[in-house]
Amino acid sequence: MTCALETQTNEDHKTASDSFLNDIRGSVILLHGVFEPSVFDVVKSGNGNELFVMEGRPSLESAQTTCRELLRRQIKPTLIADNMAGFLFYRNLVKEVWLAYQAVDEPGALCPIGSLIVGVLAKRHNVPVYVYPASKESRLMGGQKDIFYFKGIKVAPQNIKGYVPLVEWLPKKYITELRK
Amino acid sequence: MSKRNTTTVDIKESPLFWPARLKGNTLLVLDETLIPQKLHYIKVKNTKQAVEVIRQMKTRAFGQFLVVMNTFLLEMNNAGTGLKPVPADALLNKIQKTANALNKSRPTFPFAEVTSLVVGWARQAIEQNIDIPAFVPTRINGYLQGIRGRRLERVRKIADVLKDGDRVLTHCNVSGELAMAAHLARQHSKRVHFFATETRPYFQGSKLTAWELRRLGADVTLIADNAVGSVMADKLINKVIVGSDRSCANGDFANKIGTYQIAVLANEFQIPFYVLTQPSDKIKTGKDIPVEIRNPQELLTYLKKKIVSGVVSGFYPGFDVVPHELVTEAIALDVRA
Repeated sequence: MTCALETQTNEDHKTASDSFLNDIRGSVILLHGVFEPSVFDVVKSGNGNELFVMEGRPSLESAQTTCRELLRRQIKPTLIADNMAGFLFYRNLVKEVWLAYQAVDEPGALCPIGSLIVGVLAKRHNVPVYVYPASKESRLMGGQKDIFYFKGIKVAPQNIKGYVPLVEWLPKKYITELRK
Repeated sequence: MSKRNTTTVDIKESPLFWPARLKGNTLLVLDETLIPQKLHYIKVKNTKQAVEVIRQMKTRAFGQFLVVMNTFLLEMNNAGTGLKPVPADALLNKIQKTANALNKSRPTFPFAEVTSLVVGWARQAIEQNIDIPAFVPTRINGYLQGIRGRRLERVRKIADVLKDGDRVLTHCNVSGELAMAAHLARQHSKRVHFFATETRPYFQGSKLTAWELRRLGADVTLIADNAVGSVMADKLINKVIVGSDRSCANGDFANKIGTYQIAVLANEFQIPFYVLTQPSDKIKTGKDIPVEIRNPQELLTYLKKKIVSGVVSGFYPGFDVVPHELVTEAIALDVRA
């Protein structure tokens, strides 16, 4: 699959994008976090699923490790920015959500930052959320500067503050199943 | 806290509030992609160049509106530089061609609604046997002055919405109005703290919103787009204010990608969600808004650096649609001529 939709005219554009969205409706598995690599052994290419991977700002480690593991298994993932998950749900594209967890307890799971967004969206759109083991533990908080740079390039102005939580608690009401 | 009404205080302007202006036969358009490094104005000489600055997102949101209106002025100036006066039909044809080109520049912003005003004024001039080069520019300039006044009035309304002690989350950029309202609120001794999402992939939240808020003296904290749930769950914010690119008759609206999930989260955590709208009844519901899907390379690379190694696909919807039931209050701008 490729998502290279170049704008020519509004009508051409609308047709191409609508066609693409229709093709993938209800087939997207949305992945977020740094997973234990063996998790991907259950993913079979060619079974109609589209694997969409969230970037995982600020480090982008989620995107880099997940894409690497999928490419190793001859599966071509589709990358989205962290703010694009809502669009996928709104258009009924998402079949299920996979999140990586660092720890679980009775009230829920400790997951990468962004998991709460996906969990709340999934609840609203009746999409199941599965949590899988993470490959490593992340720090709880990043440094302010982490959010001021992207791939080593400064993207923020001077004299502002940054707030960089790296994990968050996902209450169990947003989790469908814990998978080990 | 001061009891003065916001109308008694002068409003300090952000460069993003009015980012395009005509100077002679040149349209100067603020290159928003170069902020915060520098304030640079691109020189636009014709419709083709105007369409390019829109497509390349050198300007966006309200800037697009200004570019559209001023491009008609530019083209009428250009048409009037010959030795012979241009016949009315030829001028109307030129205005219609300009409108068609602008309408095709990007799909989500309602360009046709804006350009149809100017085409209508040109037709009106012909019907009433009035000189187009005299009538249409007068109407455009008058309309722009009216919009300017109404936007300043909306800045005051936003300042009234801001309360002492508020912690406001915003997304992308609302073309100066929020920063100016923040400054106004500060003049009234209201302490307001802003959280700005960085707004991938173009970083308008980092580069524009955080910059202009800070420039106008506001306290601002930058967060990643994925930290929205965390700041809401931890009760770090108590209000959301965003802009909009297109509105529907039922109150649904389109705005920068990421707005829908913020609205859903705000609803989940019972946080008031405000949107700045330009009401229109041309489209019934949000389902009918054409959402621009942009080139995924804009997402997969940043300044030619790849985000991940290997050959992966990317998907870059430029906008979200937000259903009206997620909106607490729309702070509307009347854009009728």
